[in-house]
Amino acid sequence: MSHADLAAGKVIRMSLLFRVQHLFLTVLLTVLAITGFALMYHENSLAQWIIRLEGGVHNRGIVHRIAAVLLMANLVYHVFYMLLSREGKPELRQLFIGRQDIDDFLQSLRYNLGMSKEYPRFGKYGYKEKFQYWGASVGIVLISVTGLMLWAEEFSMVFFPKLVLDLAIIIHGYQGLLGFVLLYLWHIYNVHLHPSVFPMNPSWITGKVSAEWLREEHPLEYEKLKEEGLL
Amino acid sequence: MKRMIRHYLAAVLAAAVLSSAGLAAGAAPGVSECMDCHGDKTIEKSLPNGKTVSLYVDLQAYNSSVHGKDSCVTCHADAKAPHEKLKKVSCGKCHGDAEKSYSTSSHGIMRAKGVTDVPACYDCHGMHDIRKAKDPAARTFRLNIVETCLRCHKDQAIEQKYNLPDQKAMVAYEQSVHGMASKKSGLTGSAVCIDCHGNHAILPGDQPRSATHRQAIPTMCGKCHPGILEKYEKSVHGKGMRAGIAESPVCTDCHGEHTIARVSDPSSSVSSRNIPKTCSGCHDKEGISTRYALPKKRFSSYMDSFHGIAVEYGMTKAANCSSCHGVHEILPASDPASSVNKANLPKTCGKCHPNAGPNFAKGDVHVEISPKKAMGVFAVRVFYTLFIGTLVFLFVLHVGLELYGRWNRRKEKAPGGKEGRS
Repeated sequence: MSHADLAAGKVIRMSLLFRVQHLFLTVLLTVLAITGFALMYHENSLAQWIIRLEGGVHNRGIVHRIAAVLLMANLVYHVFYMLLSREGKPELRQLFIGRQDIDDFLQSLRYNLGMSKEYPRFGKYGYKEKFQYWGASVGIVLISVTGLMLWAEEFSMVFFPKLVLDLAIIIHGYQGLLGFVLLYLWHIYNVHLHPSVFPMNPSWITGKVSAEWLREEHPLEYEKLKEEGLL
Repeated sequence: MKRMIRHYLAAVLAAAVLSSAGLAAGAAPGVSECMDCHGDKTIEKSLPNGKTVSLYVDLQAYNSSVHGKDSCVTCHADAKAPHEKLKKVSCGKCHGDAEKSYSTSSHGIMRAKGVTDVPACYDCHGMHDIRKAKDPAARTFRLNIVETCLRCHKDQAIEQKYNLPDQKAMVAYEQSVHGMASKKSGLTGSAVCIDCHGNHAILPGDQPRSATHRQAIPTMCGKCHPGILEKYEKSVHGKGMRAGIAESPVCTDCHGEHTIARVSDPSSSVSSRNIPKTCSGCHDKEGISTRYALPKKRFSSYMDSFHGIAVEYGMTKAANCSSCHGVHEILPASDPASSVNKANLPKTCGKCHPNAGPNFAKGDVHVEISPKKAMGVFAVRVFYTLFIGTLVFLFVLHVGLELYGRWNRRKEKAPGGKEGRS
């Protein structure tokens, strides 16, 4: 953390590598959602307009698959980075879901309902962030597996009855819908619409948040940085 | 005695001369005599309604007609030179069979009632210039038939007066595969009006005796397409039709009538893009599915599949109904000879997907998503719908709670509250 940052009361929350991964994820998921839902809701006139815009159902498939390959590459890179890198390993540890998260969730409910005066004290990642992270990860793995099965349909046909491929289509589509809901209701709320960050938490671009915000929303992380003398 | 004989001879001679002269005055005129008057291009008669009709006969056209070697009086038996109005010519005197079958046709029946709009013999065959149907110059030559029929059947006044199919149906024929073959390519083997509708005995298709009556259509098309007819007769549709099931499709139900086009023509009702709509015209009908115990949701379950979507967006190589079910030889899946019989599915799917073996062919294909027909897919869909629905509900609840909590906290921290906040 540079002195200038400290002077301005800024704390680094996302390193450059994470921001790049996040940006990739943003762009690719958007492309995949547009191309995917156009197919899923192909009888809708907006979907038909999108498919025409993409140059027909064949080209739509090509765009979808290119984005999918990049997303899977991003995922593989992320897994290795989290398991092996000096920066990733402690991050992963902080993302594990533990007993504390359930307590925090219940505490926040109590607090919001006015049954308690204590708001839970979150570390770098609270239950909201962890739910988002693992939800998206499981979703992307599931959607990648089913997507690959459908892409390599000639290969899949050797091993699976048609029923399995029918299920793969249904899972692929609904998993996409689930991911979309997660992103647009949960994530957008948390990083854009939440009163503490509205209109936007800038960390996905600058990587930084204000120390004041960190103290309010993630006090344990704030205190840890203070102890380590990083603040 | 000699005088007597001379007198007698003179009397006979006189009688002969007189009678021959008399005969000459009352005898039938030859063609050249008729032409003395009818060779004049200006000869005409006035009708009571003030119009005039030309009485000119083109001798050259007559001479080269099929009747050119006969004489005028063969048809106009009461003709003298000169003469008043002649009796109507009766073609049936020689062409009895034709006249008989004409009298059973819509044209003949109406004509007998005194309707003069409908064609008589000469409207189609001509009058003095009648030629054999094989003669390329004949009005009834195969390549000229359409023009002959359309003289009336493209006339809007006549269409409206007799409630006939409108011009579109007539014009459509000219664009159809049959119309193009005869008009554009000049093929005489292609179907023209009379091949389907008949000629003298022409009747509307709703009459049982009509050549275009539903029950007669397969046989009628089979005149030129015998190989197809043979396949069709063995199919579930053909058997149904022969069993008298009126809902069972005949050729025209899928191919259209005047609009018949090649399969490769995108406008065709049997083109790759249009065939799902054509088949589901019957197979998506609740009544038909119930009456014949057929699977339901044929159209939507296909259109939602990869094949259906691909075809909808113009990828003609994707499978359509006929790719798997066959065309004229369609059989129910329960029939061992059917291309969609369980045992034959690997082969049928294998036409495009070589890896689709017996393992792949397990389970049902494009069925409605219901617990009975497709439990797995149904369950997954219900699970996701509930899961996503619940999740959205909880998200909204959580967001609402959090905003409510924050609002409370803010009120407390605000000046006048417990802590106050910068």
